[in-house]
Amino acid sequence: MDMPRDDPDATPEEALLAAFAAGDRAAARALTQRLTPRVLAHAYRLLGNRAEAEEVAQEAMLRLWRQAPEWRAGEAKPSTWLYRVTANLCIDRRRRARAGEVPLDAVPEPPDTSPAAIERMQARARAEALQAALGDLPERQREAVVLRHIEGLSNPEIAAIMGTSIEAVEGLTARGRRALAAALGHRKEELGHVDER
Amino acid sequence: MSMSDEDRAALRLESYFEAARAHPPVPSAALMASVLRAAETMQPAPPRVPLAARLRAASGGWPVLAGLAAAAAALGVWIGAALPGANGGATEAAYLVDVAPELAFVLAGDF
Repeated sequence: MDMPRDDPDATPEEALLAAFAAGDRAAARALTQRLTPRVLAHAYRLLGNRAEAEEVAQEAMLRLWRQAPEWRAGEAKPSTWLYRVTANLCIDRRRRARAGEVPLDAVPEPPDTSPAAIERMQARARAEALQAALGDLPERQREAVVLRHIEGLSNPEIAAIMGTSIEAVEGLTARGRRALAAALGHRKEELGHVDER
Repeated sequence: MSMSDEDRAALRLESYFEAARAHPPVPSAALMASVLRAAETMQPAPPRVPLAARLRAASGGWPVLAGLAAAAAALGVWIGAALPGANGGATEAAYLVDVAPELAFVLAGDF
């Protein structure tokens, strides 16, 4: 659908949420456009499954709309709150999938058939390899690594989202990075890495 | 200066993160539409402004309304004072005391 572009620097998301709660239609559009891609990306990186990630994103955004009238100024940023809700929804899904209630087969993305450059294909292959390696990390390590190294959040922000200390976040990301480096190390030639000494 | 194995591994890992950042999943049009539809369905209606508040806003606020009230009161006093035959006799005063006994003290001076 065609939506006017939202400028993330224009209005703080807390102000947009307050405007949404006051009935402002433009705020609903701006929040949808600004937050849905982030929620979807986070869910996809935690689940590794596009269809499941879309369902989680939809549910997380629904909870935000429901929460909006009770939102108190000065509390967590809406995006911080959303990261937490998204992670919890993903954990629930993975647990149910493990219990056999919900099939969580990783459906491979359709191959990119456009004439892309080798570098672009390698970057895509690396993104997919990382996604696969992330899937093998313990849940909290995966969440911390994704928030720190892909979403680019600070350790204090991650600690607030995960309800833990900054030191614990540092430990989780360090262990996660080591595990990823080990998992991806054996694929370095395949993914276009040539070490120069 | 040559890089250590650890530095090389860190650099390599960073290239994976960079690739992931460069290829975020793009929300489908259906997802965006569905999120927006839910937003519009669940969005509280804009608050209804009471008539008194709208009048207040339209007239310029309380100070203006207070000025209007004072002007209306002054007009009433002037009409009361200026109308011919407004000073009734004892019969009219007695009638006024019947319908508004609290005027008895005020009218007492007229007799």
